This record gives sequence, C-alpha cells and structure tokens, in this order.
Amino acid sequence: MAVDMKTIEHLCGLSKLTYDEKGMEKVMGEMSSIIDLMDEIKGFDLTYDDTKDGNEIRFCDTREDVPEKSFETEKLLSNAENTDGCYVVPKVVE
Amino acid sequence: MSQYYPTMGLEIHAELLTKSKVFCTCSAEFGGTPNSRCCPVCSGLPGTLPVLNQKAVEYIIKAGYVMNCEISRFTKWDRKNYFYPDLPKAYQISQMPRPVCLSGNVKINANGEDKIIRINRIHLEEDAGKLVHDDVNRISLADYNRCGIPLIEIVTEPDFHSADEVIAFMEKVRLLLQYAGICDCKMEQGSIRCDVNISIAPKGSDELGTRTELKNLNSLKAIAKAIEIEIDRQEELLDNGESVVQETRRFNEALGETVAMRSKEDAHDYRYFPDPDIPPIIFTEEELEEIKNSIPELPEQRVERYVNSLGLKKADADIIVNDKRVCDFFDEALSAYDNPKAIANYIVGELTRRINLGEADMDSLKVSGKDFARLVELLQTDKLSQSNAKVVLGKMIETGEKPDDIAEKDDLWIKEDNDLLAKTIDEIIANNPKPVEQYKNGDQKVFGFFMGQANKALKGAASPKAIQEYLKKKLSE
Amino acid sequence: MDLTRAKIRDLRKMLDSGEISAAELCKEYLDKIEEKDNSLLSYITVTKDEAMKTAENAQKIINEGKASALTGIPLAIKDNICTDGIKTTCASKMLGDFIPPYNATVIEKLNEQGYVLLGKTSMDEFAMGGSTQTSAFAKTKNPYDLERVPGGSSGGSAAAVAASLTPAALGSDTGGSIRQPASFCGVTGIKPTYGRVSRYGLVAFASSLDQIGPIANDARDCAILLNAICGGDRHDATSAKIDTPDFTEKLGQPIKGMKIALPKEFYDGVDDTVRACVTDAAKELEKQGATLVECSMPGLKYAIPAYYLIACAEAASNLSRFDGIKYGYRGEGRTYNELIIDSRNKGFGEEVKRRILLGNYALSSGYYDAYYKKALALKQEIIKEYNDIFEQADVILTPTAPTPAYKIGAQDNDPVKMYLADICTVTVNIAGLPGISTTCGYTADAGLPIGMSLIGKRFDEQTILQVADAFEQGFVPVAPKF
Repeated sequence: MAVDMKTIEHLCGLSKLTYDEKGMEKVMGEMSSIIDLMDEIKGFDLTYDDTKDGNEIRFCDTREDVPEKSFETEKLLSNAENTDGCYVVPKVVE
Repeated sequence: MSQYYPTMGLEIHAELLTKSKVFCTCSAEFGGTPNSRCCPVCSGLPGTLPVLNQKAVEYIIKAGYVMNCEISRFTKWDRKNYFYPDLPKAYQISQMPRPVCLSGNVKINANGEDKIIRINRIHLEEDAGKLVHDDVNRISLADYNRCGIPLIEIVTEPDFHSADEVIAFMEKVRLLLQYAGICDCKMEQGSIRCDVNISIAPKGSDELGTRTELKNLNSLKAIAKAIEIEIDRQEELLDNGESVVQETRRFNEALGETVAMRSKEDAHDYRYFPDPDIPPIIFTEEELEEIKNSIPELPEQRVERYVNSLGLKKADADIIVNDKRVCDFFDEALSAYDNPKAIANYIVGELTRRINLGEADMDSLKVSGKDFARLVELLQTDKLSQSNAKVVLGKMIETGEKPDDIAEKDDLWIKEDNDLLAKTIDEIIANNPKPVEQYKNGDQKVFGFFMGQANKALKGAASPKAIQEYLKKKLSE
Repeated sequence: MDLTRAKIRDLRKMLDSGEISAAELCKEYLDKIEEKDNSLLSYITVTKDEAMKTAENAQKIINEGKASALTGIPLAIKDNICTDGIKTTCASKMLGDFIPPYNATVIEKLNEQGYVLLGKTSMDEFAMGGSTQTSAFAKTKNPYDLERVPGGSSGGSAAAVAASLTPAALGSDTGGSIRQPASFCGVTGIKPTYGRVSRYGLVAFASSLDQIGPIANDARDCAILLNAICGGDRHDATSAKIDTPDFTEKLGQPIKGMKIALPKEFYDGVDDTVRACVTDAAKELEKQGATLVECSMPGLKYAIPAYYLIACAEAASNLSRFDGIKYGYRGEGRTYNELIIDSRNKGFGEEVKRRILLGNYALSSGYYDAYYKKALALKQEIIKEYNDIFEQADVILTPTAPTPAYKIGAQDNDPVKMYLADICTVTVNIAGLPGISTTCGYTADAGLPIGMSLIGKRFDEQTILQVADAFEQGFVPVAPKF
C-alpha cells in the first residue's frame, strides 16, 4: 500500500471530506493504486526552475486601478441562504 | 529585575490606498452596507478569475523602497489554502517564495537610542471578509466587502526586545506608509494591523525560547499592554518549571489577558502553490526607477527641510511632521503666506493645542491651510489682536468660514482709533499713579502691566504696536 | 428539414437567403432534441423558451441585413460554462441548482453575434473523466452505439453534434476533454492554445490547463466558432493579448511541403486498429504532398502522473470554494465545519473526491517537492521536447485516444485504467499547445469512429485547422444511424 490510513485521514481533513469505515477501506485501496501510478514520476530526474516557465507578463500589462460599479447584492446572494445582505454561516467556533 | 530577555518579531498588515480592489474592480473604500462592494470575482463565484491591480504592485514597491528593501525583478503569487467563512475562495492569494520585497531595514529611536530593525520581507496579498456573530441564533453573518482589499504584509526579523521598540517601530512605519501615500494607517479601522511573535529566554542565552503569536491588537496601547502581559505570563510559566506552548493567542483588552485561540483544524498545512490564474510579473529597471522617483518627500526629509531651509526649531518640526495631516496643512499654509516660523508657531501653539483638547480634529477639519495662513498673516500685520485671533480661529474651526469674513461680521478688527487709544491710556495712567512712579524709577517690568490693562480695555481697538508707542510716550512724559 | 450533420456555414446561407427563419431552425432542433435526447441524454438543460425568444430577436438582425457568422445559429454549451440566469451544474449535485448571475466571456461574445442557445450539455462531473458517466444528471451515450460511452468530459457536446441535436457546441479541454469525445463520436473538436480563449466564466477544473473550444461537424465549422470566441480578455490575465487571425483564412490551401511529425511513443500503446487507421491517414496526407517526419518524445512516459498531479492539485484548490455557504448544495451541520463536510460529502461524486484527495496529497507538506514540483519540472521538459520537434516539423500527428469508444461500465471502479487512457491528449494541455481531433476512419466490425489529432505550434491554430480540413476534404464521414 502506497498510503496508510493515517495519511488518508489527513487528506480527508485537508479536503473537508469524510468516509464511513467501509468507504475508508475502499478509498485507501483506490488512492494507493493511484499514488503508485503517480510515483512513476520519481524516475524523472530534473529540477524545476520557476523563472523559466515563460508565462510572465510585464508590470505595465497589469490592470489599471479604476473602480467600476459593484454587483447588485441581491443577485450576488441569490444562490445562498442569506439575511440582511449577508451570507448565513453556522456558528464558527474559535 | 527579571532574569529573562524578551525577543519579538512583527507581522504588520497594511491596507493599500488603491481605488479598486487588488483582483477585481470593486471599490476598495472602507465600509459600505454588507456585500455592496462585491462582484462575482471577490465573492468567489465559480468561473471567476483574479486580475492584478497595477497600483497595488506600485504601492508595495514603494513600501519596499521606503524600508530599504531589495525589489525582486521577478515576482509571483501563490494560493494559501484554508477553509474559513470569511474567505470565499477557500484560499487567500498571497506570495510565498517570491515576494516583491526582500531584506530591508528601518531606523527607529526608542528611549533616546537609535536602532536598526531588519525587515525580512514584504509581500502583497488580499484581505478577507468580515464575520458578525449572532450568538442568539448561533449563526455568523458573512460580509465580503473587505474581501480583496490589497494588503501588504511586512515581516520583520526578531529584532525587538521591548514594547517601547515595538511602538517606536509601529509609529515609524505608520509615518513612512502615510508619507509615501501607501496606507492611511488607521488602526481603529483596521487599515493597519499588527501581530507580535514573542518569546523569552534566560538572559545571556543564545537560543530563543518557544514563541507565541499575539493577535487582535487594535491600538498601540493594546500592543504595549499585550506584550507586557504575555511576557509576564511566559515568565511565570518558566518560573514554575512549565514550558511555553507554540500557539496563537488573542489579546482580550477588557479582561487584560491573552487567551489561546482554538487552533484551526489542519491550519498548519496551507498547501501553498503558485496561483495558475495570475501570471508572474517582471519589472524593468526603468519601471522601478520611475516608481522610486515618484515617492513623495518622506518624514525625515521634511524635518530636514523645515529645520535647514525654513529655520524651524527641530522640536517644532518634529511635532508638525509627526502627523502627516498637520504637515500637509503646514505646507499648504506656507504656499499661501511665506512666513514659516509664524505659521509653525501658530500650528504648534494654537492648532495642536486645540486638537489635543479635542476641540479640533484633523480628519474633519473645516479650516483650509490657506485660510489658516491668512489668519496668521492678519495677526502678524496687526489686523487682529492675539485674543481676537483666537476667537476667529475658534469660529473657523466651528464653521469653516474665512478669517476676514468672521472678523468683519463680528467686528473684531483692530480699529486704530487714536482718540479712544489716547483717552483710554490716559485714564489708565491717571488711575495708577503708583506703577507710574515705579516705571519712572526704572522698573521696566510694570510696562507689561500697563500693556495688559490697555489691551483689556481696548479690546482690539488698537494694535499692540500703537498701544506700546503711546504708552512709552506718555510714561516718559 | 434534414438536420443531419448540417454545417454552420450552410445554415448561415439558408438564414440569410430567407429559406428558413431563425425561429423555424431553432424549432427544428428543439423538436429533434425532444424526440431523441431521451435515449441519448446529451443535454442537462434544454432552454426551450429562451431559445425561441432569442431566435426571434436574431431574425430581426438578419432582416436588417446585419447578421454576423453566428446570428440565429443554434448552439449547445457545455454545462461548466456560466450562463447568466440559466442553470450551470457542472453535472454535479453540488451545483444542481446553481444559477450563475453572470455570463462567461465566451457567452458574451456569442450573444453579441445573436447566437441561439439550445441548452447546456452533459459532461463528467466538474469535467473530471473521459466517459461522461460521472455526470450526476445525464450519463450521455454514444450515438454510434448506445451501449458505449461518448467519451468525455465534453461527451454531451460531442454526442449532441454527432446526433445532429445541435449544429455545433462548445466544450472545454483540460486533458483531452474536447478531442477525445470528438474522436469517440466521430466529429471534429479543437482545443485552442492556452490563452487563446478567455476562461472567465468557465468553472475551473485545472486553471493552468483548461481551455474552451468548439466541437463541430468539421474543421471549417470549428474555425467559424473559434473566430467568434477567441481573443484576449481583461477578465482573464492568462488570456493572450495578441491579435487574432481569421481562422478560416488558410482553409483550402494545399498542404504541399508541410512537414508532419509522428512521435513514435504516441503510437506504442494504442489499439492496432487505431494505429493502422492513423497511419493510413498520415499516408493520405503524404499523398497530398506533406512530408512525414519520424520523431520521439521521451517525456511522454511521465506524462500521466505529471498531468494528474498538476490537474488535481489545482482542482483540489479550485473546488475548495464549494462549501455550501455561498452557492450550491447546502448540507446540514450545527457548526461551520460540520456544514462544509456534509455539503462536500453529499455534493461531490466519488471521482471528484478522489481527485481532491490526490491533489491535496501532491501539495501537502512533505510531499510537495516530490510530486507537485516534480510535475512542474516535467512540464518544462515536455515543452522543451515539443519545441525540439517543432524545429523540424509544422504539425504533429498522433492518435486521439488509444481505443475507440468503449462499453459503458468497462472502466468503472478502475481509476488508474481510466487515467492511463488520457495518454495521447494530456501533453498538449501540459505544453499549452493547440490540438484538433478529426475522424480518420471507423472500426471494421462495429463502425465506431476513430480520431486522429493534429498538434500545432503555440497560437498556430490556423495550420492544424488547414491540415485537418485538407484531410476532411478527401474523407467521407458516416453519420450515426441514431
């Protein structure tokens, strides 16, 4: 197995997903074979140089600082549970 | 005397004074009714993309220059991934391996000593929204108006060893950012915020202790207090043989204590990676040079100019420069009436006095620098008496009217009424034979008594100069 | 009216000459959708009323003589492209009721021309898959054989075009999602150069790889659609601010002297029938005067892990915003944390969840350098290898998929097998190049379409369109008996 249960649990935590016991077994099996496939990349021996991607733009090509009209609040919230123009979130425990 | 030595580093977040947000065109103004300064981009709707605001990049470069940083010629943006309801995309666009600014320094003066604080980095990121908690209904309400306001995060090296140094640094940074036009630095509105990393170690030890991070510090006073309390707490732990836990602690100003925040689940693994929606940026030397040259005069340069070219006293120059609004007011006044010392005196003596008394507020001041200059000019050219000038200033602050109009309407001009002058002073001299005697015997001090009496009686009907001349003449007879 | 494989340009002539009105044309397609799509399941949403309304508006423009290429032309749009006021589900329960309050840039551009939206087509959930069987709402079938998959993820768009339930459609392509279904359904689909078409309004799967593109009956119609949707966009910083040519310009020009490279690794792991068919197509192009060039791409053997690591890392981050709070499926929970977990558990399908887990694995501390960063290094290597090939060739010819359309259920429960099937297409996305798939033959027994792909230099869609068109001119396509 390429991954253990603890790793899967950690990934579920990061992903905000949970599985029941049976589901965990299944997903662990699947993730193991997927990660085995991913591990093939370890045979590739070159390092990454982030300055050589060639996708950079010039400073002068960024957006000018000109504000435009914002969106209608009601329309923006139309897909959400909302009250008083705000999104409703169950209590956040700090 | 404590046997421990505290060490602190700061993470300062400052909101930039751009007109639009950093990745969309919504207004970056403070406040607004909930979710009224939002669009699909800053609300994190599926399919939307961020487009970087040039001004925000320009401002962080300026911030880098005023803090003597190296500016990267190649910079890029990363996603910091975590779930929180004030963060609609569930990631914050920030910068990890290639921030705009690296390794700078800022000179401070704390307790009379100069000191250099090293800057580790400054990077550009977006602010998050705001949550209002409704404890009764056990819900929180999310408002994304603040989402996407551009922020710079200034990270210092752990170079602080007292709260005084931290405060001195914060004040210095505030001035630098304000003068460079980057941030208004209103702590009470949260436009500049400071987290303090703090640890203590036995004196003489080379190693740093375990640090905690203090958050929710909303004023300089709170920062100083929180540091003091946290140092005490850590000392007590170590003294009792316990150890400090690395954690984030929230300062509760009302209770006067720091409280550990429930650590956000998995918060330590932010999975930073380059944001594929925002291309990296390259700068040319010319672009950087142009930005550098556009930085306005900074506080130290202003003090220097005021002292060396305008002849102000260093103390007065410091007072004026220490508040950019006052300083700009001074410069405006100076452009209308070229008498720097008189204007400075009247600002330091009268205006700041009223500000300190709460009678005036620089943020909502109705008096223009030009009108203030005119008032000083009226005073200097004997058109207004000292006392009436104060009355006029009071009215100006209240109504914003012009000094000439107020003096005219309320009949406050010096009249130069020579008959009245002669009659009044003659009476004073007649009624005070004893001081007259004293004066004639060479006691010059009683002259002041006569001046005071005359001023009071004449109520601005004559200029001090005329009073003085007539008095001298009469007393010498 | 016989709509079978009707071309945009022919419909244009009919509309302009008044032979048919926009409303009549629209009605023809809507009727056919109503009649046929129950068994094909290519659409998630059919926008019947809006379609008729916009068709009537389009007719006014036509009557005024102000028609452009797409005025009154009905089109279908993949359901991950945001349409203002019209449900955009990404074929996920997570967005089952999501009505975007804004239009994608490509939709704005089509609206400017007065196109007619027939509906939103099905796809793999969040474009993750190659079969359209992970769709939560419409598991589209292949019109050549209803027991087979249409490919994916733009399977709904490709099947609808193939079955003539629309003259053309938009799809999106992250690792082959336009080209592979085009190949399975016997139609033509082009993935433009990364940055050629704005991604604004395309619900992101993998932002550095995603690109919107046309699926149509042939390269000529693809060129017409690409003309309409291309161009730099101020809402998309990754869109290229360069001049756009007329993509129909080179169509019909002879390909004599054109150098076509065949990188051998692409032909190694594919079905014999596929290899034979694409090799025959190469010979046909040679007959037309092209020169075939043998070449190699050693990096291909790492392409699948590199692609899945990059795509899933980005996807894990892109899909984090689906928490049930702002839009989409809202689960239950007393706390914020409980609510997000419940929303995501119930809103996302199994494949989407696997990819989120994989993406977070590749990015999480301790694994980042070994996986994600390595994948980025490989991306640089693949770009280099493509550049090397383009030193000696104008276009590259490869199979589009290792097999023709397979039976529904054949790859269920085997994600690895599913991932490996993307081998022919993913490097084009990794390198950001344009690629077009067109039909080059049919299997002898079942008559299933086989596709070939032409890959071009960055921003040289014109040449691959020209070569695809040159091939199509000598090829007789067989419409499905659907």
